Amino acid sequence: MAESEEEVDVLVQRVVKDITNAFKRNPNIDEIGVIPCPEARYNRSPIVLVENKLGVESWCVKFLLPYVHNKLLLYRQRKHWLDREALVDITSTLLLLNPDFTTAWNVRKELLQCGVLNPERDLYLGQLALTKFPKSPETWIHRRWVLKQFLGQVSAVSCSRKQKQGEVEQVDGELIQQLSDHLARMLHQEMKVCSDAACRYPSNYNAWSHRIWVLQHMAKGNAKVIHNELSSMKLWVSMHVSDHSGFHYRQFLLKELITELSQTAACLSICLPQHWPSTSPHRHSHTQANGELYGAEEDEEDEEAEETEETQRSSSTILQLFHQEIELCSDLIQSFPGHETLWSHRRQVFYLWHHLKKDHQHHCSNGGSQSVRISKSDPPEGSRQDMTRHEHGCVPEPMEVDRASLPDQRDNKRLKRGVLLPASPNLPSEHSFVDRILDSGCVENPPWI
Amino acid sequence: LKSLLFYSGTQVKDVIIKPDAPSSLLLDKHADYIAAYGSKKDDYEYTLSEYLRMSGIYWGLTVMDLMGQLSRMNREEIIDFIKACQHECGGISASIGHDPHLLYTLSAVQILCLYDNVDAIDVDKVVEYVKGLQQEDGSFAGDKWGEIDTRFSFCAVATLALLGKLDKINVDKAVEFVLTCMNFDGGFGCRPGSESHAGQIYCCTGFLSLTGQLHQVNADLLGWWLCERQLPSGGLNGRPEKLPDVCYSWWVLASLKIINKIHWIDKAKLRTFILACQDEETGGFADRPGDMVDPFHTLFGVAGLSLLGDEQIKPVNPVLCMPEDVLQRVGLQPDLLS
Ligand SMILES: [Zn+2]
Repeated sequence: MAESEEEVDVLVQRVVKDITNAFKRNPNIDEIGVIPCPEARYNRSPIVLVENKLGVESWCVKFLLPYVHNKLLLYRQRKHWLDREALVDITSTLLLLNPDFTTAWNVRKELLQCGVLNPERDLYLGQLALTKFPKSPETWIHRRWVLKQFLGQVSAVSCSRKQKQGEVEQVDGELIQQLSDHLARMLHQEMKVCSDAACRYPSNYNAWSHRIWVLQHMAKGNAKVIHNELSSMKLWVSMHVSDHSGFHYRQFLLKELITELSQTAACLSICLPQHWPSTSPHRHSHTQANGELYGAEEDEEDEEAEETEETQRSSSTILQLFHQEIELCSDLIQSFPGHETLWSHRRQVFYLWHHLKKDHQHHCSNGGSQSVRISKSDPPEGSRQDMTRHEHGCVPEPMEVDRASLPDQRDNKRLKRGVLLPASPNLPSEHSFVDRILDSGCVENPPWI
Repeated sequence: LKSLLFYSGTQVKDVIIKPDAPSSLLLDKHADYIAAYGSKKDDYEYTLSEYLRMSGIYWGLTVMDLMGQLSRMNREEIIDFIKACQHECGGISASIGHDPHLLYTLSAVQILCLYDNVDAIDVDKVVEYVKGLQQEDGSFAGDKWGEIDTRFSFCAVATLALLGKLDKINVDKAVEFVLTCMNFDGGFGCRPGSESHAGQIYCCTGFLSLTGQLHQVNADLLGWWLCERQLPSGGLNGRPEKLPDVCYSWWVLASLKIINKIHWIDKAKLRTFILACQDEETGGFADRPGDMVDPFHTLFGVAGLSLLGDEQIKPVNPVLCMPEDVLQRVGLQPDLLS
């Protein structure tokens, strides 16, 4: 085992090179780890590459980390010169061992700014670090910075395109297409990185809040993306019933999607339960259940014909979303009793629905001049927050939702035939659900009570 | 006792406090533990945590001061270290050669307040640094690279409040941003739309206290969420279905104190949990009974016991996690709801 300073020096330089070479040999390394191994084995590198897994033998880490760490800090204090290639290698090694070393990520930001480092290679390093340290706040922070740089480039190109006109437009059009394809790929990749980290560490706050950030910055207002996320999350949350962060993400998606859909839904159609054509068997009971909230507006029925099909679909989609979400909550609560997360999710879904109704009511009573928000925590600016539009004649904006993947196609068909409309959540139905759970013995009182 | 943790086949995520767990406060052991911590600098361990060194020093010094043992620490060495960590831009870094950041700027200012020596650094430059990190929407970036988080809003106003310079930033805008991070459950997340989290709630209620805006909190709703963090063991977690932890016990408890709902939890049980996290042999507190101790959990264990009214410890301020007598000297009395 190396002991003297020079020996450590030689050893560490060799190991850093071995790591760099491993990545050159296999650009598809997808996981890193430390291999428990207290003693060095003669004449063998401590860097082990098995299939796509890169391992570092534990004995060398205690030499390796302080060495690369101090080297970088000396560079930062201008006491030691490192060329750009050495900086890339050293920061890679450092961050795979200690990904919360902020300053090392900052050195890489500078390398990215001067074009020495490829952004995708850099995101890849972070992805690997997250396989061993799935929470690492600094790794997530750095990713957001890299993504923001990319988004800045995209918007710079689109802006310059708007300014120039005429002959160059064709070329720019291609460039924009390339950029938007690139953006879609990056979005997909980020979702995967978040999923992996979420699976590696339960209720991973940093992974899920990153995922929210990504949607807010890379897919803002894109109902299709949000809807796909909502669909794919259904299975995930069903398999992780105590992951509060995963459920929070679902709540975020639901709220975003409803906000998007509400833009196309006219004020009246949000009142669907009592305005839906009388073919609905649920109609009467809904009027009763919601009567005190909406007030009976039977004479509005004639105007329904004026509503466009588009608007109706948006509204019914909102109603279906709520219906399905409450149903999912009920199923999970019955199958997995006693999970705080599931009840907290139900509380939020019910709250969302309640506010949607209340805001709508408020909106209508104000003559529709005011914009209405789902909750006070929404940012005040932006027309996207407008939950409803009162003008009957307004032309709905085109919907981006992929019809084929709308929630539960069977319900869609039923809806089109006008036979069955799902019940909307309401206070009596909530109370009877809770009573049912309490009576069923699915939940006992905890013994300490 | 084990049956306590199960019902209907679902395990409650909690710990079991063994009957032989520590049940009295071992203050001398903790002081020895902290005093010795800095001297044994194992290369590897020291390197791993150097990126947060300045906060580490704040944790150690604050807990020593709360225990009346601050004089055991090397004042001159620490002040020289802080001076060496201030950068041209005014910001302070975690250690020498690291990049400046709001997190460590606050820790450094807190340490200098403990030592009644803020003039050791260039205060005007610190103020300029903090001011320069405020964004158009009122939020604060943690450093020049622009990450936004409500934690940084707290760091910014706490730093300036300690320096008596809160008027140098746009407080109204800063408040506006923090309020956009409030959730339906009354809690706060790191950014608009993010999940409520006890650490972020501590930062945001602390922020609203320092800016005189606590009336904007829905105290009943938030208090409900916070007191639901208490588990059968008495310990508090930071989010639903997470394990109890001494540091989250502090963040939840301090937030409850700020909004005047501390009586909504079982204080005696929490005390039992915190005491059980002590290591009788080495001194110090761990996150949970039986785990490895560290200075971070040692501070929050002792500070938690102080908030619970232990008279062997100096009273701690729930907003800044500093001894009340230090804040009196500074002339800062953050609001608490009454
Ligand atoms: Zn902790």
